[in-house]
Amino acid sequence: MSPALRTKLGFNRGGITVFRSGLFDALAMMRLIKVILVLLLVAGLPAAVWGAQEAVLSEAHTDPVAHVEDHKAEHVLPAHAVELWRPFGFPITNSMLVTWIVAVGLIVFAQIATRRMQDVPSGLQNFWEWLVEGLYSFLEGIIGQDLVKKTFWFFATIFIFILFANWVGLIPGVGTIGYKGPDGHIAAPWFRGANADLNMTLAMAMVFFLCWTIWALQSNGPIGFLKHLFAPKGETTGLLKLLMIVVFLAVGVLEVISILFRPVSLSFRLYGNIFAGENMLEAMARLVPGWLGSILIPIPFYFMELLVGLVQALVFMLLTAVFTMLICQHDEEHAGAHH
Amino acid sequence: MAQVTGNIHVGLAALGAAIGVGLIGAKASEAVGRNPGAATKILVQSILAIAFAEGIVFFAIFLATRGWPS
Repeated sequence: MSPALRTKLGFNRGGITVFRSGLFDALAMMRLIKVILVLLLVAGLPAAVWGAQEAVLSEAHTDPVAHVEDHKAEHVLPAHAVELWRPFGFPITNSMLVTWIVAVGLIVFAQIATRRMQDVPSGLQNFWEWLVEGLYSFLEGIIGQDLVKKTFWFFATIFIFILFANWVGLIPGVGTIGYKGPDGHIAAPWFRGANADLNMTLAMAMVFFLCWTIWALQSNGPIGFLKHLFAPKGETTGLLKLLMIVVFLAVGVLEVISILFRPVSLSFRLYGNIFAGENMLEAMARLVPGWLGSILIPIPFYFMELLVGLVQALVFMLLTAVFTMLICQHDEEHAGAHH
Repeated sequence: MAQVTGNIHVGLAALGAAIGVGLIGAKASEAVGRNPGAATKILVQSILAIAFAEGIVFFAIFLATRGWPS
């Protein structure tokens, strides 16, 4: 880590003035990361409850079909998270359990790593500094200096959380340890990948959508926000200008529709990738009968899933970052003109 | 042809997305070959483009499959 960046990120604790005047206060950033983790948890709850109810309803609906399918195609991963317990009428699904484990694990991990901050980091602190600094400079290169200061906490949190949630979902035992059903198969696994549940990904996408709206309004103002969507761009005069106003109004409507579809596509993309990955690993384990085949054949696909987990975390972060940049671009144009 | 049933639309979407991802990858590696200095920027652009291309498949799977909670 270069000295300049250390000062900028606030990791340099040599002098109190340097620490205070640093653009970033490392402790405040950690606190922010923790706050957003808790927010994510809280945001995930109602969606999970709704999802569980929905799941129960749809189960009742498609029960006869499911039975027929069960006889034909052995045992497949259910598309929704399975409810495990219902203490005080509050359903807890296996995906929620993994979400909490990952979140608590990350918080504890960050706490331990930053308990004794050192000038020359080593071990855990070094790992987090490497991760946070790498993410910071990466995002700075994409969305610009000013915006990254304001929005870094969100993108870093979303990346770190999705990455570790995906990888925790790949640990052997997730999805294979649980309550047995009447047919001898695992009917309700205790753990299921956090992002293999549409509620979780949708909750994250909605949190982003909220943040996006707030950032857009902050950087453009309400009038500027509407102008950014609907007003004509470029220099035109006379009759052509009138035509351009109509054209850009229509373009604005299309833009609004595409913006409204963003949370849907974000959540579907992440859920689809992770759920499909788990399904594929199961299918590969069943490809060849016998224990040797079911151990050896999934191994290459397991490594592919490790890669997919990283790429999907990156894609979620990149897409959200680029969406934010696109709407906040007005301020950036002047700042970026000097480069 | 009468026997072809099931989720043909998902197969078609996957076909199109695969072609799209392949084109993006080909052009991205070509671009890196021409200008290795811009590798990071090209990587970001191509990952974004690939994400949009493959998003189509998920729309096809989720919005058109029977039995999806409705």
